[in-house]
Amino acid sequence: MNQSSKKQSNGFNEMKAAPETLKYSVIACDVFKEELESLGGEKPPWSGIQYLEMGLHDQPDLLRKSISIALRKLEMNASIEAIVFVYGLCGTGLVGISPSRCPIIIPRAHDCVSILLGSPKRHSEILQKYPEAYFYSPGWVRGKRAPGPDREKHLRAFYTQRYGDDQELVDELLEADKESFAHHNCAAYVDLTQNEKAEDYCKSCAHSLGWKFRKLEGDPRLLHDLLYGPWDDKRFLIVQPGRSIALSTDSKVLREQ
Amino acid sequence: MNDPLQQLIEAIKVGNRKIAATATQTALDSGSSGKEVLGALSEGMDDVGKRFKANEIFVPEVLVAARAMKKSMELLEPILVKSGIKPEHTLVIGTVKGDLHDIGKNLVAMMMKGANFNVIDLGTNLPAQTILDAAIEHKADLVGLSALLTTTMPAMRETVALMNKEPHPFKIIVGGAPITQDFADDIGADGFAIDAASTVELARTLVTSS
Repeated sequence: MNQSSKKQSNGFNEMKAAPETLKYSVIACDVFKEELESLGGEKPPWSGIQYLEMGLHDQPDLLRKSISIALRKLEMNASIEAIVFVYGLCGTGLVGISPSRCPIIIPRAHDCVSILLGSPKRHSEILQKYPEAYFYSPGWVRGKRAPGPDREKHLRAFYTQRYGDDQELVDELLEADKESFAHHNCAAYVDLTQNEKAEDYCKSCAHSLGWKFRKLEGDPRLLHDLLYGPWDDKRFLIVQPGRSIALSTDSKVLREQ
Repeated sequence: MNDPLQQLIEAIKVGNRKIAATATQTALDSGSSGKEVLGALSEGMDDVGKRFKANEIFVPEVLVAARAMKKSMELLEPILVKSGIKPEHTLVIGTVKGDLHDIGKNLVAMMMKGANFNVIDLGTNLPAQTILDAAIEHKADLVGLSALLTTTMPAMRETVALMNKEPHPFKIIVGGAPITQDFADDIGADGFAIDAASTVELARTLVTSS
């Protein structure tokens, strides 16, 4: 271990107990914008949030690349001492990401659903109970990515642009998209911000798809503590410079390697 | 483009069911063997898989291509039966407990069927014991386990662990978006395939080596 990383390691031990003494920045998926604005208040203790496009987990390599670029950029700012990731494993898109100067703090979570539900344990329990659930949140609703009327409109426009001369194929692709959600029968809405508009939208999606609507109680503690500390090992992984994020298939979800 | 096999490859690539069916029929009528038609289907789907991986196309396009392949296989199956080509090996396949995502599993099942395996598709969200019981009942040579979610990877681990508790005659192949070779090795699976086309190659290797 070289001198500088040793110093950062000590810094991390301090910030574990009192993160407010260190200067840290945040890289977050845009899906969390509503929740972070609500939790941040008027004067958040972190210095800046960089949001990255939501939905990148569909292309894990692109997600990894986008986060790595944002991370390098932040690390060039000498005043930043640590970086908080508002991400989970996200389809393994976070695996392999390695800081070069600043320790990374990341919640032990599969994805945004684990984070909004408060823990990967609760996420897994809910999935075991309702494996047919498709999760919605205010951010996911805003992104118009969730199954429902807007997704259909968006996809029709996208495929018409791509295969405009073959409307039969476009119709078939839209039908196939619906088929890819056929195993879901429940729109499960998780919210930490009392966003009635998003909740109503989720209900309308459930109605148009012929699915049940289920509201799940969100738990803000994991997200709150990710932003404010304490960063205990049970709920958070700290990745030291030169090390990288790896998948852990036990209840820890993530590990450092 | 007069070669019906080439037409079939192109029809699979763009997911055109009608052309896939007519090209299959023309190919068979003009003397192409079942194996050659299967080769064309595999080539078409291989291209679809590669473009999907490169994010050039998305799930609906893969599903439409799979439908076109299915249409072709409906015409091909009676020919294969008639020619006396019987499957020598059996694959029991399904998604692990908690995972209902079956697009990948269905693609693998279809490609394996096309590669002349007897495929027993158990469906989705399967308890470990159900898969093990089916593997024994059907005298499987291979068991294929699929998981799309990182939340269900522990269920894949548990399923493989249950199977490996006692000696068994089958090989276990695992796959799905978050699965890696390291994970497959770690949980004691015999093989990992990154996509449907490579599952066929892996399956052939595993059954010949056993």
